[in-house]
Amino acid sequence: MNVLNFDSRQCEGIHRHLDAYLSNELLVETTSEILRHLETCEACTRELETRTRVRDLLRRAATSQIPPEELRLSIERRLRETQPGAWGGSRQLNWAVALAGIVVIVLGGIVAHEWVRVLRGRKIVAGVLALGVADHVQCAIKGHNYPEVANPPEVLRKKLGPQYAGLLEVVQQNLPGFEVLEAHICSIPGSSRKYVHFITRGRGTILSVILTKKDGARLPSGGAFRSVVAGHVNLYEAHQQGMNVAGFESRGYLGFVVSDLETNTTLQIADQLVPPLNAALQEIS
Amino acid sequence: MFFRPKVRVEDFEATAMVHFPALYRTARLLAQETAEAEDLVQEVYLEAWKSFHRFEAGTNCRAWLFKILFHRLHHFRRRWAKAAKVEAFDKPEDQESIAAEPPVPQEIHDEDVLGALEKVPAEFREVVLLADVQEFSYKEVADTLKLPLGTVMSRLSRGRKLLRRELAEIASSYGIKSAKDQASTGESA
Repeated sequence: MNVLNFDSRQCEGIHRHLDAYLSNELLVETTSEILRHLETCEACTRELETRTRVRDLLRRAATSQIPPEELRLSIERRLRETQPGAWGGSRQLNWAVALAGIVVIVLGGIVAHEWVRVLRGRKIVAGVLALGVADHVQCAIKGHNYPEVANPPEVLRKKLGPQYAGLLEVVQQNLPGFEVLEAHICSIPGSSRKYVHFITRGRGTILSVILTKKDGARLPSGGAFRSVVAGHVNLYEAHQQGMNVAGFESRGYLGFVVSDLETNTTLQIADQLVPPLNAALQEIS
Repeated sequence: MFFRPKVRVEDFEATAMVHFPALYRTARLLAQETAEAEDLVQEVYLEAWKSFHRFEAGTNCRAWLFKILFHRLHHFRRRWAKAAKVEAFDKPEDQESIAAEPPVPQEIHDEDVLGALEKVPAEFREVVLLADVQEFSYKEVADTLKLPLGTVMSRLSRGRKLLRRELAEIASSYGIKSAKDQASTGESA
């Protein structure tokens, strides 16, 4: 047998691979190379045998210990005591989690329902207030259906007819700084709905006070929709077509104050006008 | 999934308890005391049981349990704070001293081997146990211990050398000659 020296360069290279060889972690080519070397090198063969013996001694000693049977039984007993529930914890925890889940779902449902209700209510408000804005824009702004010099009161009363003539004074008295130029009953083309329309001028702009019968239309109740309370009347506001509108609901009627004045100004004007106007409408109804 | 499928303790026992001897033996060779090893194994099984719904049937249950074992072991070890430091064996002179490849005697008892193993620092001992006793691949050892592959290889090499040195010392203290020495004595006779 051709015996190589232990310190030879080739042996050193083989030694570096012996750990991986012993663990069967080498590529086939490297394993073949080592096997070829071992065939001719007694020193490396002896070294590998020693390492293999140490590993076998360790394996034998490590597996000689007998695990205690009581420990196994104790573990199996505890496994049965801690049967994981649906969420892996104790039964109490599972119930708590389930309860918390139900509470979250219920609260979430309430919040979602309320949110849908608010959205729907705001849509209704916008739809109702759009009636007043449309009449103001069609009749007063686009139609310019008012004179430059205010029509005399008696003419306006005649145009309003006996049912609504009394409202002229209410509007005139409760719109300080505004002059009633025109008052009539009109309707938007294509619609059978009629409006009592007061066209006023003041603060450098045209402001309309519009009254129409409800005909089933209603403004939603609740603080989430109204802007202010004028007397006992809820005021709603919206901004549409470049106009600010304040709307209210009286017995049998919907009323609107529409102008291009700022929102707060429009609301302040409506705040003063609406309570007496509401009272007058109650009498008419 | 909000709800998990119900798992049966019988299924868990059939899958996991067959590895109880291997887990216990490994834990016993890494823990300081028998009681600590028993606590450790018990915790491993309870933890595995709680997360058994995540275990995929047909995958390597033994590797999964050993991963839990070492996760818990390292947690315990921080509590024990008794394990030897790796740094002490990272010095070049230590590498030189264990690079001498001491011979190992032929006759040596299991208790001596375990005594020698106990003197090997835990960081090396755990790699040697996983690779040489449990026969995990390098990659499985790396996954179990959350170590880079290169670290596993170097720790295994160092651990084996340390064990061999300890065995040689124990044998020497008993007056047992190594196989090489015995061979040379035989030749001279």
